[in-house]
Amino acid sequence: MQTSRARLFKEYKEVQREKGADPDIQLVCDDSNIFKWTALIKGPSETPFEGGVFQLAFAIPEQYPLQPPQVRFLTKIFHPNVHFKTGEICLDILKNAWSPAWTLQSVCRAIIALMAHPEPDSPLNCDSGNLLRSGDVRGYQSMARMYTRLAAMPKKG
Amino acid sequence: MEEQRNSMSKSREQAEGESSPSSSSSSSHPCPICLSPTPQLQESYLDRCFHKFCYKCIVQWTKVVASRHSEAPSSLFCPFCKTENFSIIHGYDGSSFERHYVSQIFSDSVFFTEAHRYRLQCYYTEPGILSDAFDIKRFWKSRKYLQSNPWLYSWLKREIQALMQEEDVDVVVHHMLGTIESSLRRDDQKLKAPELKAPEERQREFKMLLHDAARPFLTGRTDRFVDEAELFLASGLNLEAYDNVYRQRFDQKNPRIDSLEEPTNDGAVILQSLFVFDEDQDGAE
Repeated sequence: MQTSRARLFKEYKEVQREKGADPDIQLVCDDSNIFKWTALIKGPSETPFEGGVFQLAFAIPEQYPLQPPQVRFLTKIFHPNVHFKTGEICLDILKNAWSPAWTLQSVCRAIIALMAHPEPDSPLNCDSGNLLRSGDVRGYQSMARMYTRLAAMPKKG
Repeated sequence: MEEQRNSMSKSREQAEGESSPSSSSSSSHPCPICLSPTPQLQESYLDRCFHKFCYKCIVQWTKVVASRHSEAPSSLFCPFCKTENFSIIHGYDGSSFERHYVSQIFSDSVFFTEAHRYRLQCYYTEPGILSDAFDIKRFWKSRKYLQSNPWLYSWLKREIQALMQEEDVDVVVHHMLGTIESSLRRDDQKLKAPELKAPEERQREFKMLLHDAARPFLTGRTDRFVDEAELFLASGLNLEAYDNVYRQRFDQKNPRIDSLEEPTNDGAVILQSLFVFDEDQDGAE
């Protein structure tokens, strides 16, 4: 556990030092618990998520970085590889392809890449996966855009 | 080769927007696993891609990877670049170095014997394999625990070595031993008091104390460890006899569980599925 704490502290310092270096990601550590983090990521451009800001929750195991962090979307998102209700993410590097060389920051980047490149063949959100698999890209995009507007953008007064 | 490596690391830095000025010279790259600068004595390199790690960190990671397979793997994919590597170069002092083959990280460690491996495998199976072999209720009811078990130390040591995959566990073992013994001795003193606690209450207390003592070291495996410890105490057997009973049960369920010569790919998984069918038979015995 000491190792994970030391490593997370390094990541924390790196995040503080590099603040604003990546305008798409804002990582914040819980005030009282270094094993709990949240992140705000911007939806990638030229995708239905463009313009949205999505919140992620990180729960880091005591064996980190030998075991991957648990990450889920707190913001509703319509994406084949994200569970619509729980926000659970299906991504190989968060499961069996995990490597301890990943950091929380690079995991965020991987999630942004997943948003731009959905994998409809391993869906957690079947409705979304089926739209893409049946070739209805427009249908998928309009649904995804609608949920981005509803959940990931500031409400217009 | 050198050029290729440089361009690779550069492209990675660009791709990830990592432009930390302190990591510009290759010697000051921190270990990718702990993110700390590697102490010189700990410096080690993978044999194909030459990426540098702390020896401790990369060996730990190799063990994690190995524990996912029933057989020790012969190669390791670099955590940084995914190149397949076969050994870790370590202890380079200008003229000589040590070379540790991935396939031997487990097998050549003197302390991690076949018995350790079998104990660790036990934790990957469903509990209850021995629940009808020893009478746990009677152990508490008839206060068998008042007799101290002289084999408890060796059992604890092997168990904790297997679970933590670490050789030097003496401090942890003594901590657990102290917890167990003080818990049982406290019961001993209470025996003279007019009011005796119910056996169930005593059992619950014992389990809670041991659980609290073990949790920081064994984390997710604590619950099972406490049950296994109780089982061993209730058995009243020495290490050898206990193993005999345990392995006999294992072999009933899966004849190949402890014969490591034979390649068993998903031994533990097969075992779990067989359990479901054997449950009734066991109850009838």
